[in-house]
Amino acid sequence: MNRLCIKITGESGSGLLSTGEILMKAMKSMGFYVVADREYPSLIKGGTACFILNASLKPIRSLAKRVDVMMAIDKQSLVVYFDDLKRGGLLIHGYERPLGVKDIHALAAERGVKILHRMAREIAEENGGNVLMVNVVLAGMFWKALGLDYCFIEAEVTEQFKDKPKLLAIDLKCLKAGYEKADVQMKVEVPKMAAGGVAGAKKTILIDGNHSITLGAIHAGCRVYFAYPMSPSSSILTHFSEYAVKTGALVKQVEDEISVVNMTLGAMYMGTRALCATSGGGFDLMTETVSLAGMIETPLVVVVAQRPGPATGLPTWTAQGDLDLAVHAGHGEFPRVVIAVSDPSDCFELIQHAFNIAEKYQAVVILLTEKVVAETNMNVPEFEMGKIKIERGLVGQAEMKNLENSDRYKVTANGLSKRWLPGTDGAYYFANGDEHWEDGSLLEDSPRTAVMYEKRMKKGELIEKNLPEPVVYGVKKNADISFVGWGSSKNVMMDVIASCAERGHAGRQAGVKVNYLHYSYVFPLKTKVAEKFFAENKNVHLIEGNYNGQLGNMLEAKLGRKMRSRMLKYDGRPFFMEEVEAFVKKNLRK
Amino acid sequence: MDSKTLQELEAKAKKLMGFETDKKITWCGNCGNYAIHNALARALVLENFERKDFVMCFDVGCSGNGSDKFEAFTIHGLHGRVLSLAAGAALANSKVKVIAEAGDGATFSEGVSHLVHAVRNNYPVMFIHHNNENYGLTTGQASALTRCGVKMLGTPEGVMVEPINSLDFVLGLKPSFVARGFSGDVDHMTELFRAGLKHKGFAFIEVLQACPTYNRLTPDAWYAERVRNVEDLKSYDRTDLWAARKIVQDVDKEIYIGLLYENPEKKDFVSLLKSREGAVTTPVEEVKHYDVRGLI
Repeated sequence: MNRLCIKITGESGSGLLSTGEILMKAMKSMGFYVVADREYPSLIKGGTACFILNASLKPIRSLAKRVDVMMAIDKQSLVVYFDDLKRGGLLIHGYERPLGVKDIHALAAERGVKILHRMAREIAEENGGNVLMVNVVLAGMFWKALGLDYCFIEAEVTEQFKDKPKLLAIDLKCLKAGYEKADVQMKVEVPKMAAGGVAGAKKTILIDGNHSITLGAIHAGCRVYFAYPMSPSSSILTHFSEYAVKTGALVKQVEDEISVVNMTLGAMYMGTRALCATSGGGFDLMTETVSLAGMIETPLVVVVAQRPGPATGLPTWTAQGDLDLAVHAGHGEFPRVVIAVSDPSDCFELIQHAFNIAEKYQAVVILLTEKVVAETNMNVPEFEMGKIKIERGLVGQAEMKNLENSDRYKVTANGLSKRWLPGTDGAYYFANGDEHWEDGSLLEDSPRTAVMYEKRMKKGELIEKNLPEPVVYGVKKNADISFVGWGSSKNVMMDVIASCAERGHAGRQAGVKVNYLHYSYVFPLKTKVAEKFFAENKNVHLIEGNYNGQLGNMLEAKLGRKMRSRMLKYDGRPFFMEEVEAFVKKNLRK
Repeated sequence: MDSKTLQELEAKAKKLMGFETDKKITWCGNCGNYAIHNALARALVLENFERKDFVMCFDVGCSGNGSDKFEAFTIHGLHGRVLSLAAGAALANSKVKVIAEAGDGATFSEGVSHLVHAVRNNYPVMFIHHNNENYGLTTGQASALTRCGVKMLGTPEGVMVEPINSLDFVLGLKPSFVARGFSGDVDHMTELFRAGLKHKGFAFIEVLQACPTYNRLTPDAWYAERVRNVEDLKSYDRTDLWAARKIVQDVDKEIYIGLLYENPEKKDFVSLLKSREGAVTTPVEEVKHYDVRGLI
């Protein structure tokens, strides 16, 4: 089995998340590569939810929709998700009334699904627990059913409840009891451990996207964070605030997104590195200020964590629907950069580049993430410190005394003028949201208006020239099928490239050659590598998480080429492995 | 202005002149903005502020059109948002005094939420509220502070709803510093601004401002007849919030000006932050790599 797919289902607030995290971390500590995300409704308690966990001996990055093992904490969620369990899979549950699960058990028998059923609540109560420990009993059952070494899950439960010794003792008893009452149902190949307990694979960390953005920002010297809560960006505020005492950063939740972005811009203007994050609706409110940043040529970095719109849409689900918004946000014309992240490593590094680009070019940078990136945990190599230099684009100390007021917005050949900070000995200037001349003085005359307008726009050309090109993954050319995309699509494409390359895939002896052109720097759109990609691959398709194919439209317009077809998704779910594999099979070059 | 202050100002005349612009001023004749800028320049000079020691943040409107008429570091932001912009600037670098200016439209309509939270959080900002009781730059519409019955562009039958009492509103938010002057008295404004510059938290200073073009009802002369200096009230305790709320109710007959309320106990926002306890540098000085491996 290349990939072990697990789904834990339950009511929101039933301990689903903590159980999922325990299993995820325990498997990671065994040396598995894991990917884990959760699906949940926008409410605090009740409603069905699930935790999806994929584990593999080899690196994986995306999730499959169908699972090998389903562990159900309650009946309602079992019924909702049962069809995601593969034929011949394993169902683990503790529901008490046989009549209530009669139909499911019948279906299971029909599909060759094995069932591990124990009275989980009774087991919990016998061991001094209550209904809240059902999930721990089930976790013990799960662990035994897969034939996994008890010490790993014991260590993880101990870690999880270490601050509550009384509760921990009960939880450990429940875990053990669940483990002992179960039998091995599915033998799973486990990673071979090297000496010292570390898996043979490269040392990795298990982390999600929002946590990685936070760490990347802190590493890059971001000292101020402003926010207004909005899913799926809110956990960045959680992380920033929880680290604040250690890092000394100034973290503040403020009254609304308009204030958030104005405070961020004010802080950037003074010369620190400040950040804010929101989702599409919050970003709508910020856009007037995005335009102001463009006008006063002050760096600004905004993280937009996408979820499906319009309006409130699906607050806790995923999408790639706000690329057009990011590219066009704000009235008037001004250069900006849109960067999209795909995984925790990207999050950690691209937020650092975002700050550098914003400061070097005195421009707005919008960093797009998605719910599925923000909340998906996966193994990534340990973050490297100091790999990305801090580039601030500020005038050096020696030059400060020679500055003229008019240097600040000086009309230059490439549109870039000098930037220095207020509150210094440098010449004073006016950072003017009204159209202005070189020192920032207000102007309304025709010739200079046009000259200053052009100066700002020229900076866009400079930025475009210096941004990195997109990257090709998989075979370089002559692929059987090719894709173009951005954001989280990279994860599923990497896994599909690997799975399709295996011998015998789609009935082909040598496997199927798939490649993928990935845009991290989405706007301004670079086309040199894309041009070559289209020339060397004849069966190119779009993969994008929105209805219009927003990147596809931009790319086709700029390249003057058409893609064969578009794989689009806008149901709040990410692209799953099986979907892309099926698309590959259907669209292979004949 | 007493003779001692006048002498001090004379000695620092060169500095004062340094803030003067040679650009054409675009305010109407007799606009209150001239006096406000003049008083602010004097206050800065008298308090020994150099250019590197302060940043001025402007909203949009007639007051905002002064953003390039004061020769110093200025930023001219969006309508209604100056308090947020200023708060962000002040939190990033508390070694620089941040001064914000906005009119009554920005402060009590477009950006009233930011006023509420600037007062509540006691951000270290000195704020000058230019209250001319109308939207001047858009040619004379009613604001939330325009008096009942006044005919303005957009309300030809006269304003029908009661105006907000600006200072009562702010005092209701438990501020740390509330003062009021009027644009007909530069000396008095200078003293208020000097006090505001020295205040650590959010200083709300309202200037009852003449708008000779669109507010014919309350020119400087109208205010001059009605203003009373709070310092002339013998038993007035300016740390008594209820006394202040009482005294600001009358905006028609006897209008009190001066430093009306002060709460020295209320800490400014930065002083409350555990993460910034004992910090000797500001976030502006702290941009460098931080090793985050220990955080994971």
